[in-house]
Amino acid sequence: MTSSASFRQASTALVFLGPACAFLLAMLVAPILVDLVVAFTDMSQTVKIDNFTTEQFRKLVRPSEEAWLGFELRGSFYRALSLTVVFVFLTLSIFNITFGLILALTTTALPDKLGAFFRAVWLLPRMAPSVVYGLLWIWVIDPTERGLLNQILVNVFGMAPVNMILHHPMTVIVMANGFIGASIGMLILTSAIRSIPQHLFFAARADGAGSLSVIRHVVLPALRWPLSYITVFQTLALLVSFEYIFLIMGPSRSTMTMAMLAYTKTLAPQIGSGQYAYGAAITLILIVIGMGTALLLWRLTNMKTLLAKPRIEVH
Amino acid sequence: MTTRKFLAAGIAAATLFAAAAPALAEEITVTLWSRADRSGPLRAGNIVDAAATLNNMLAAAGSDKVVKVELIETNAKGFDADALDVLKAHSVGDTPDIIVAAHEWIGAFVEAGLAANLESHIAANPNLYADIIPPLWQSVMFKGERYGIPQDSEIRMFFLNNDKLRKAGKSEDFIAGLPAKVDAGEFTMADLCSLAAEVKDSGAAELGIVHRPNVGPDFQMAMASFGIDLYDEDQAKLQISESGLLKYYSWLKTCVDQGAIPADMTTYSWDSVHAAFRGEKAFSKFHGIWNLGAQLKAFGIDPLDKDAYFEKITWINAPAGEKGGRPNNLSHPIIYVVGDTPNQDLAAMLVALASQHVPNTKHAVGTNHTPIAYGQAAMPEFIEKGWGLVAGVPLLEYAEFMPNHPKIGQYNAITFQGVQAVETGEMSPEEAVEMVIEELETELGDDVVILN
Repeated sequence: MTSSASFRQASTALVFLGPACAFLLAMLVAPILVDLVVAFTDMSQTVKIDNFTTEQFRKLVRPSEEAWLGFELRGSFYRALSLTVVFVFLTLSIFNITFGLILALTTTALPDKLGAFFRAVWLLPRMAPSVVYGLLWIWVIDPTERGLLNQILVNVFGMAPVNMILHHPMTVIVMANGFIGASIGMLILTSAIRSIPQHLFFAARADGAGSLSVIRHVVLPALRWPLSYITVFQTLALLVSFEYIFLIMGPSRSTMTMAMLAYTKTLAPQIGSGQYAYGAAITLILIVIGMGTALLLWRLTNMKTLLAKPRIEVH
Repeated sequence: MTTRKFLAAGIAAATLFAAAAPALAEEITVTLWSRADRSGPLRAGNIVDAAATLNNMLAAAGSDKVVKVELIETNAKGFDADALDVLKAHSVGDTPDIIVAAHEWIGAFVEAGLAANLESHIAANPNLYADIIPPLWQSVMFKGERYGIPQDSEIRMFFLNNDKLRKAGKSEDFIAGLPAKVDAGEFTMADLCSLAAEVKDSGAAELGIVHRPNVGPDFQMAMASFGIDLYDEDQAKLQISESGLLKYYSWLKTCVDQGAIPADMTTYSWDSVHAAFRGEKAFSKFHGIWNLGAQLKAFGIDPLDKDAYFEKITWINAPAGEKGGRPNNLSHPIIYVVGDTPNQDLAAMLVALASQHVPNTKHAVGTNHTPIAYGQAAMPEFIEKGWGLVAGVPLLEYAEFMPNHPKIGQYNAITFQGVQAVETGEMSPEEAVEMVIEELETELGDDVVILN
């Protein structure tokens, strides 16, 4: 009886958990394992594996006697790393967090309908298909007088046309990604602000607090966890994000982040792709960086406490 | 009632037989891999037509076999992406019987065991192949043997807008004499940039020279002008000359400094590049002969009026890098490759039929590609509508081809990095050379020879 009961228990567990586990394995674990294996091969255009080798990783460094470990990062790889850091830091700090917070604060301060309207407007970029959004950007920043930005600069302000792609490439990709990223922050923070009990606001007002004091002493303390979550989640998302960079900038040297480098070496059309193992090696490094960053932020933002069981029970 | 029943039975039987009749013939399916390409829809269409011809022959011989072409039309963005896709298909056993490809992929196809060797097929069918223009065969060679049939050819060169030269005060004699000066090696690449800068500074044009904004074969002719020979055929290895590369990048820098090439050229979209020349904003463009159709339309010239076109536009080869040097241009044939499959003999015959004068002329004239056989130039259709292509044939004398090496795509992508870095001012020519050589060495390893 016991064995049949435990069998039934196991089979029930399998039926209920099986699909989810299979999904996790196939969609999340398997790609990382495949990447791990491919990174140590010589797979290229013919999609065949002839040898297992560390050659791909050796392509990323060059020997140097002065360097600490006897080698230094090669130019293109070092450049990709630094561009990634700059891109992630700027997008995250300016848009995904700061701008998302400003949007949440302002739209919740407005009357409900008006606030909802502005939030809906800010969600539009996320709802638009990537390619359409990318094309709109290309049209806006077109370096000739056909571009919207230049039409405004020249005709309204009487200024000289600017070439954003050539002179301010990082600004372009930070803004393009930021406008989309800000909406996620806005949504999460709005719902967090909404969950603050109303009586706290009334009490603060009764105590004579102005709007800024209410934000500082009532709202912000309540947003600590959502902000930590946004930081960790968006950092990881931005590290591997490349679609808007590719759509708007193409394989430009000025915005060749790690994710873009991996994409151009493997699957991007017409730019020397087909080096699958090389791309896998770059991706593997990106995965390691992502894991390291996630763990570090986990510690820094004290996420563990957030996810821990509450010490008191509210009845 | 009975009549009705008989009628019904009769119709049923007739339908059954009609349905069963084709099934009696043995159908052989030949798969054809071709990307949907506006610049050559008949590359695939001619194979389908060839199957119809072949079926007529089979029927006449009383054979019960019928050949059917199954078209695998892909939507890859370019020939490089398409070639990678076909290699992937091959790696899982879905090797197509015929592939329409850019010739430089031959090396990769042969190494992957995808392409069939066509030497014996060509030798066995001299009547079908003897008229093909000999230099074109070079484009399908890998290690001395032929693995494809050239389908069309083209010329890439510099287009100059004569009206801009006239506005800048140049005489008709100067304009008419340019091509000869280029061919004699008197007019160099540096002269071209100075001329473009002069035209631009005079206010006759907004832009000097425009070139393709992305990675591609066009740059090879400019590199060749500075003495860079991309390929060592004996060793079947790519090669680059450090001094040649420095001269090439220095030339680019001078052109950008003079204002002859826009510094943001590599940030243009293709549309902006075309619009710049066709909209008469740019004085010169380096690209291919198939632009002719679009240019005629943009300039409002009658497609049959050869004189009006050459009154407006001059074609020149890429000039020599130094005085007395040899000018050159680039031809980039698209070819038929026969897959190494059980159907390869049949597929090769279809390719042979599709490569004959009549079908190929339909393709060539319709899409502004130069002919593959000498005889085509004498066909009335060619003489009337293909005057531009006939005019391009003498340029073939200076034609270079891309190396048929599997890694030429990577090679081009890396040397283009240098073009972008120098033009945008990110690097000096010296730094760009250092970067490009390092990238070539690490990414291509033994496949590239670095020369001084």
